[in-house]
Amino acid sequence: MNKVLDLARANSLWPVTFGLACCAIEMMSAAMARFDIDRFGAGVFRPSPRQADLMIVSGTVTKKMAPVVLTLYDQMPSPKWVIAMGNCAISGGPFVFEGQYNLIEGVDKLIPVDVYVPGCPPRPEGLLEGFLKLQEKITGKRRFPGPVERW
Amino acid sequence: MVEKIKAELKATFADLAIAEESYPQSGYHLSVDLTAKDILNVARFFDGRGFYLAVELCVDYKDYLEIVYIFSIHSSLCKVKATLKLDPVQPVAPTLSGIFDCAYWYEREIREFYGVLFDGHPNMTYLFLHEGIDFYPLRKDRVPVSEQDKQELNSYSPEQREDSLSINMGPQHPSTHGVLRVVLRMDGEYIEDASPVLGYLHRMQEKMAENRTYQQFLPNTGRMDYLGAMSFNLGYVTAVERLTGIDVPARAHYVRVIATELNRISSHLLWVGAYLADLGGLSPFLYVFDDREHILDVLEAVTGSRLTYCYFRFGGLYNDVDDAFVLGTKAFVARMRGRFSLYEKLVGGNVIFINRTRGIGVIAKERARKYAVSGPVLRGAGIGMDLRKAEPYAAYPEMDFEVPTGKNGDALDMYHVRVKEMETSLDIIDQALALLADGPFMVEKAPKKLKPRKGDLYHVVETPRGELGIYIVSDESDKPYRMKWRVPSFSNLMAFPELAKGNLLSDAVAILGSLDLVIPEIDR
Repeated sequence: MNKVLDLARANSLWPVTFGLACCAIEMMSAAMARFDIDRFGAGVFRPSPRQADLMIVSGTVTKKMAPVVLTLYDQMPSPKWVIAMGNCAISGGPFVFEGQYNLIEGVDKLIPVDVYVPGCPPRPEGLLEGFLKLQEKITGKRRFPGPVERW
Repeated sequence: MVEKIKAELKATFADLAIAEESYPQSGYHLSVDLTAKDILNVARFFDGRGFYLAVELCVDYKDYLEIVYIFSIHSSLCKVKATLKLDPVQPVAPTLSGIFDCAYWYEREIREFYGVLFDGHPNMTYLFLHEGIDFYPLRKDRVPVSEQDKQELNSYSPEQREDSLSINMGPQHPSTHGVLRVVLRMDGEYIEDASPVLGYLHRMQEKMAENRTYQQFLPNTGRMDYLGAMSFNLGYVTAVERLTGIDVPARAHYVRVIATELNRISSHLLWVGAYLADLGGLSPFLYVFDDREHILDVLEAVTGSRLTYCYFRFGGLYNDVDDAFVLGTKAFVARMRGRFSLYEKLVGGNVIFINRTRGIGVIAKERARKYAVSGPVLRGAGIGMDLRKAEPYAAYPEMDFEVPTGKNGDALDMYHVRVKEMETSLDIIDQALALLADGPFMVEKAPKKLKPRKGDLYHVVETPRGELGIYIVSDESDKPYRMKWRVPSFSNLMAFPELAKGNLLSDAVAILGSLDLVIPEIDR
């Protein structure tokens, strides 16, 4: 029974519309006609976290924003997943320097992250691959063939 | 104009130290040393002659703090830098917020980053920062924020009244395009007062600039305004080239113009889509992203990135463009010209859209000047100032194009101005492509280590959102001593509380959208 539920969850991930910075534009691109995230069942962006089960942290998390991110995460009903999109959300990215005073160096210091998508910003294909990885994590097996390793 | 202002200044204020400066080197014509008792009178002098306060900023010279005011005028080219020296231990300056409305936010910014107190300012509380930061970030020495200052900075709370309701719009709100928070005080459905709260994406760019060399800071420019990254790139490289005296080959100039204008179109396209999505029309979003992807394909092939470009270098370009770029650009221009009729049918002629934007968010010319708004918002208000014409840079002096203006200054006008700007951008691209000749794309001996001259520079460029001013203070080392970014969205947003007052809540979204805000640029 759980397997069936997982399959259903993996193929209808509802992300919360939550753009933080530059990566949000690539997230929008991923949802548009060319990249079409709907093919993987994740195109229903919800403005309210209460209707969503996936949070894409797309951008830099500052100390002022951190409580807001936490609140949003708490408002999402379980089971829920988090994708850290872009270098800022992974580790602070290009904005880390000695003496910085306003940055959370990685959103995983605040909330548990399931999939990391590197890039500054990641291409929409990168985000799609992140979705496939998340689906793999939920169901235990990959639905589409992965990228060919060339290097 | 410069002579006239100088003579009038001398006649009005006999004991002021007025110096004439070289405009090509420093970006302003006159510099005035002020004392605290003069500043208000000097500000009134410029206000009475139709000047606007382009930027107010602070520089920490360790022995003293210096407040810098840049006054500029829409109708001609005349820039005046006024400076005021302050004691670093207990810095107090008179406020200009009673004369120029835009000083209200600039002074709050200086207060929290430098600890300068402005005498008579109505609201000296946090704008960007928060109580978790216990020192003044942009001071050169570590100056702690005293408990009393912290309490005062943190004392802001939205006014509560029995018969009104406070609503938080943002920081997570689909129509603020990022993490802007606006606290609205409502009387029923009508807005009594709106106060934006900034700093949810403050990424310390100005502090970073002081910590690294000119070259190392280059990638940051594209991440400030990610939609108009090319314009920010261009502004930064032209500013530093002006400071160091690097000449750029002609081919690089034309390619810069082409790439910047392509980026401008993609930015305006995204605005059309996002604005209509705010108003409830989701289908234009799909059309504009389709067009936008064509631009991104062309730019990606030469720059290597889709969004946060870092294509220009001091002295030229990162790499040369090829025939595929020229053909791709031509194909896009031809395609885009055919799309305007579609947008006219889909958006411009749409009754719902017209009724939701006509007469909404009207900004009068005089108020636009007081808030120092710029770009399409200013042109929508009827002032046809475009820095590509007023202070041309790169290859813009050779380009022939119109500057579209609106009549009423409402949100509908701003839509039309932006659509017409896309058409003029296409014209510029056509001209630049025709002039593009073979040649080097980079100066032969680009210096590895830059040697800027000592002094300061205020350099402006026109980004898709308006006037970007870069104020650099150089101490001859390869790191800037101070770099201030005067960003267009910041001053455009300042006008929002006034525009929103008395409107319906649903119209607040229409007004906020019409200003075309990019939050990382405001917060820096």
